[in-house]
Amino acid sequence: MASLNPPLTQFGFRRVNSHSMPDKKTLASKAELRDFEEETLPLMPLLLALARRQTNSEQDAEDLVAETYIKAFRSWSQFEPGSNLKAWLVKIMRNTNLNNIEKTKRDKSHGASIDALEDWQVGAATSLTAMASRSAEAEAIDNMPAKSVTDALDRLPGEFKEVVLQAIVLGLPYAEIAENMGTPVGTVMSRLHRGKKLLRAELAGYGREEGYSVENIDNGDKGQK
Amino acid sequence: MTEFNCQETKKHVHEFLQQELSDAEMNEVAAHLAHCESCEGDYGFEHLFNTVIQRSCNEAPPAELASRIMARVREINAEAGK
Repeated sequence: MASLNPPLTQFGFRRVNSHSMPDKKTLASKAELRDFEEETLPLMPLLLALARRQTNSEQDAEDLVAETYIKAFRSWSQFEPGSNLKAWLVKIMRNTNLNNIEKTKRDKSHGASIDALEDWQVGAATSLTAMASRSAEAEAIDNMPAKSVTDALDRLPGEFKEVVLQAIVLGLPYAEIAENMGTPVGTVMSRLHRGKKLLRAELAGYGREEGYSVENIDNGDKGQK
Repeated sequence: MTEFNCQETKKHVHEFLQQELSDAEMNEVAAHLAHCESCEGDYGFEHLFNTVIQRSCNEAPPAELASRIMARVREINAEAGK
């Protein structure tokens, strides 16, 4: 199929076809392979951290990362040196994951956009923590088991979770996140803000259920016994 | 230098922590934080929260994943050369 091969379609936005390779089939030299490995592999743990939050099992997460690396390798010549490699890999992984999801179960359409989530819904959640002093809340969050935090992350609406992960865990600039998600930078900013707010409320709720609640912190002078 | 007030400072917390502010804005925030306990507490909390989120997500990959990936990449590369 002789297509013009426009830059955006190389990641296969619409469909997955593992047998369709990019037009040029060249054998990378040893040096090029090493170059690819040295530049991309140090970023693998971060990509896996992201993949783990966007798939349903460790196996799927590892497969997604592996698939991402294979696509990245095939498109390596198209990576612009000096641009943000981490963001480039995240974009490939994001599109791969979207394709995979689309492939397995077509549609799961939510009606309204997630950004239409009413302010009162976000706001109400915050008031749950209003009673606790900030330092007690900070202590509770600091002592929160990793699993509780990742579970809470997984309960965030997808778009919020994605921005929180890309910004905080991967440290990507807003502009790169906006580009990857196809949204304006302002949307990224508001999703980060609201995502963290929701997460904070989730964790406050979790803390109460599991006994990490600030009321139960046994530090002598605080807490009701 | 026109320093930010509390409202402006609190509004910029995420941009500050993500280093998305201009140098001038960073300075204005820093100047405000230096003498405002309330805002400093907010920033400290959000910073801690970020640290906790990062820490919770960075469980190490399985030891052999990197080599498995590169083995697959080499395989693809060899196929492409045929």
